[in-house]
Amino acid sequence: MAEETTVQEPLSPPQNARREALALVVGVAAWLVPGLGHALLKMWGRALICFFTVGVFVWVGAGMRGNLFTSRGNDAFDSLGYIADLGTGGFYWVARSLETNGPDVSHADGDYGTRFLATAGVFNLLVALHAYEAARGRKA
Amino acid sequence: MTSSTGAISGVSVLVALIAVKLSHLQALMVFALVISVAFGFLGRRQPKERVKYILWTLLLFLLVGVGIGWAMYPFSR
Repeated sequence: MAEETTVQEPLSPPQNARREALALVVGVAAWLVPGLGHALLKMWGRALICFFTVGVFVWVGAGMRGNLFTSRGNDAFDSLGYIADLGTGGFYWVARSLETNGPDVSHADGDYGTRFLATAGVFNLLVALHAYEAARGRKA
Repeated sequence: MTSSTGAISGVSVLVALIAVKLSHLQALMVFALVISVAFGFLGRRQPKERVKYILWTLLLFLLVGVGIGWAMYPFSR
């Protein structure tokens, strides 16, 4: 698997600024589509695994009818849940379209599903940060 | 009328396809397995190191999960 090397030569300021901008694009791409950031860096194995992991968590979470928080939360926990769910990027809307019957947290299944959805989001944010750091030339 | 019936049955099929029914232990195992593989790929570069990391993380996830379950058992009634 061809993946990024770790140690980089010191760059001049314009090159450094360009790399920073590119890293930001990679980070945002990684957030929007899980795995895309690593794919842009030609880290194919990691890209596939990230896409698969977030996809499975979203599928299981939505399949168990977990609660997918919206921006119209009532308290701080709802807002935190919304931020976590938004972490899945484009998969947030995939989960929303999969949950045709809406959430059901009256059973334990729905509660587990809520955790799966939140975990998918937080994991994808971690993946985006990893891709950003790798694009900046940090060890990855 | 026919198209709306078809749409409803399509939605029913979709719901049936994505519906997931897991026990607490099964959910824990799915979570532990998937996240261990992901951490292994993100955290290690060499295949051998990845396998070792995945197995070790999976074992710890399961042990800690079951351990916390048993630790909460006296307070569950």
